[in-house]
Amino acid sequence: MRQAHRAASVIAAFCGSIFLLFLVAPIARLIGAGGTDGLRHLFTDAELRSALALTALTATSATALAILGGTPLAYLLERRKFRGRALLAAVIDLPLLIPHPVAGIALLLVLGRQSLVGGTLLDLGIRVVGSPIGIVCAMLFVSAPLYVSATREAFARVDVRYEAVARSLGDPAWRAFRRVTLPLSARGLIAAGVVVWARAVSEFGAIVILTYNPKVASVLSYDRFTSYGLDEALPVAAVLAILAFVPLFLLRTLRASRGVAAFGQ
Amino acid sequence: MIVAEGLGARIGEFELREVSFVVPAGKYGVVIGAAGSGKTTLLETIAGIIPMNGGVLKLGGRDMKGVPPEQRNAGIVYQHGYLFPHLSVEENVRYGAIDLSFADALAARIGASELYAREVRGLSGGERQLVAIARALAPRPQVLLLDEPFSALDPRRRTLVRREVRRVARELGITVLQVTHDFTEAGLLGDVAILIDQGRVLQSGPPEQLFREPASPYIAEFLGAENVYAGQVRYLDDAAPDWVEGVTDLLARGHRAIEFLTGGLRLYTVGDAPAGEGHAVIRAEEVLISAAPQESSARNQFKGVVSEIATTGALTRVTVGISSGEGGSGAPIVAALTTRSAQELVLREGSEVWASFKAMAVHLC
Repeated sequence: MRQAHRAASVIAAFCGSIFLLFLVAPIARLIGAGGTDGLRHLFTDAELRSALALTALTATSATALAILGGTPLAYLLERRKFRGRALLAAVIDLPLLIPHPVAGIALLLVLGRQSLVGGTLLDLGIRVVGSPIGIVCAMLFVSAPLYVSATREAFARVDVRYEAVARSLGDPAWRAFRRVTLPLSARGLIAAGVVVWARAVSEFGAIVILTYNPKVASVLSYDRFTSYGLDEALPVAAVLAILAFVPLFLLRTLRASRGVAAFGQ
Repeated sequence: MIVAEGLGARIGEFELREVSFVVPAGKYGVVIGAAGSGKTTLLETIAGIIPMNGGVLKLGGRDMKGVPPEQRNAGIVYQHGYLFPHLSVEENVRYGAIDLSFADALAARIGASELYAREVRGLSGGERQLVAIARALAPRPQVLLLDEPFSALDPRRRTLVRREVRRVARELGITVLQVTHDFTEAGLLGDVAILIDQGRVLQSGPPEQLFREPASPYIAEFLGAENVYAGQVRYLDDAAPDWVEGVTDLLARGHRAIEFLTGGLRLYTVGDAPAGEGHAVIRAEEVLISAAPQESSARNQFKGVVSEIATTGALTRVTVGISSGEGGSGAPIVAALTTRSAQELVLREGSEVWASFKAMAVHLC
């Protein structure tokens, strides 16, 4: 019995190690091969700096929009029972299943110059396709479902009776949300925002359809690879990997610092 | 004042139906019922947390239809407290308070202010309940809804806090509705008791009435009546035999002398139950045990043999198998007597004793 337990432990450890190696090796190899060069390029390559700045700006904008629109939607889906709730939740999740270039094409159909929305916005002087706005739209479209899903989960962890008590103590619904639900779900919401930001930073497929230029880091990396080969693409890709690691590391630190029964009774 | 008339609410598959009762202003109502009977749902419906789907609910004379929870002036305390974990104990108590010094004074009375320096996460279940009670009372609600609020307190603290909450509620004129499983608590606190089962009110009224005059054998058994017998009700030809002395007011109101036949027992009582099949309920506290027949006004007297003695602290429950007497044989009668009395009678299993109770101790339903 004891030997069987030991053998199972060894097999599990072996499988886990192989899996971890599979995940870590490409990134480690990428950073190892292009990390130093990439960091040096930060000081000499203006296009790389510009792409990284644009990536950060658009990803942050997309995250802010996801928070603004996704938070009330997630709350509604989690707390209110209404007809069509499951359908609405499925529709919101749909972008997760669509290949990202297809998502880009879909966005192009709605926001392109020939479309009603895109044409009207263009008449108002707002260009979507081929502009940072297009990048934000692409990023938002593919990452917003992740935010809504994670935020719903964060709200679900806050027992509805906390709000009930707050309301019985005189708080209208909005104030109970602000004073109780929001602080109790804050860590979950921040984590959801970080996931959205990281996902937006790494987006390529939808962006490349909607806005090739100006280039975000992922498009620049692809452009360098197809135009100049692996050696030129490596530093860009490595810097992107390093920068994407920062928010993820922060996220994990945040989660680790949260007590298991932080919000429970 | 809490007035519910045909109140209905639905949560998932569970439904609260046709709930009607009244707790007068400033009085203390207790809701009794088995687990899953709808007690908490009732409190949440009154608080406005669960929307009502029928009937009328009035708090302080005001119709609550469409009134959101924050405008009902009804505080709620859950069994688990639901203290806000991101706030300090002090902030919890003061959460809904308008007058902070009043909130602090109230917390001191309940025993919650001594916890101000503690973290919410470090509080025990009982301490959480103290803070939750203080928090709910701090805004001076007109109605206080308590869902087993003393269950996690130790017995001594429970008695003290229970008394203090009762006193505060009286002083402030707060109408209280409390869910409890504890019949002693229901009897001690309640001006009105409401028995609920499967989302319906089975009976409501003064606790004394519920316990002594249950409306059905189910209620009697639920409320812990040990002696519940099914049998036949028969009016006696002599409408007012000598043993009905002292109940002339009942006779004047149409009650009659009744003979109740159950198994081998023949019980005598006074009532207005319809003739035919029925149930007789006798609370164990009403049954006297003696070594010899009583020369008292007790009309129902049976000789029997002690078949079981169960002592729980100061009380002893004695089960007597009736063997002979005016009635017959076979049916057991349970009596509750003080342990001292049981010791004085030198009761043993197999002892021959007399069990007696007055005609008025027999309730027919």
